Amino acid sequence: MYAVLLFAVLGGLYALLYYCNHKTPLPEGCENLKAECSGCKDIGCANHPAHDA
Amino acid sequence: MDIGNLFTIFVTAVLINNVILNQFLGMCPFMGVSKKSSSAIGMGGAVTFVIVAAAIVTYGLYHGVLAPLHIEYMDLITFILVIASLVQLTEMIIKKTSPSLYKALGVYLPLITTNCAVLMVALENIKQGYDFAEMLTYSFAIPIGFTLVLYIFSTIRERLDAAKTPAAFRGNPIALIVAAMMALAFSGLMGLV
Repeated sequence: MYAVLLFAVLGGLYALLYYCNHKTPLPEGCENLKAECSGCKDIGCANHPAHDA
Repeated sequence: MDIGNLFTIFVTAVLINNVILNQFLGMCPFMGVSKKSSSAIGMGGAVTFVIVAAAIVTYGLYHGVLAPLHIEYMDLITFILVIASLVQLTEMIIKKTSPSLYKALGVYLPLITTNCAVLMVALENIKQGYDFAEMLTYSFAIPIGFTLVLYIFSTIRERLDAAKTPAAFRGNPIALIVAAMMALAFSGLMGLV
């Protein structure tokens, strides 16, 4: 019971923070920041060069 | 508090059980963000901040919530969610309060969610039964070791760009050979403490 409750609370907290972070506007001059990353095999990562196209 | 014990934990975590060269964790940023030394320093700073913050929060959560409620088996899923939430919170706060810091670190923050070194530190603090001072020392030492190796590796890669490398070894192959030599060099420090 406690385990399910804890999971729900932490999952909800993550969803809320993700939403708030997504809605927070980027500071001026930071709109097109890119990491100097040549890419590993993690294609899901937002910095992977596969997303540049 | 035994200073000698803390010093041993620090030196062991930085040099002997180095998170990259000995435990092979955090390899994604090690290979991906090591082409420029400035990027390596930025990534190291962001990793240090997130590891220390995540370690303090997860340590408190384990001893304050999981252990008293006897749901210690939830540690893995709890720590993953805490780390992911913490990264979102950190990114949001930096966006709001310090644009210059966001410019320096912001782009690396989402990468850290997938850095397994963060989760390893949170789990190892519990597994080793560290008290608060030992936990803080270990949580600072691991990212310092990470940053040190990442910076050394990036400076070598910068010089490799200007070197005459055989075509077959250019890029990642020579980088992996350098990483292997660094791992061998660091293994020579075993037995130091």
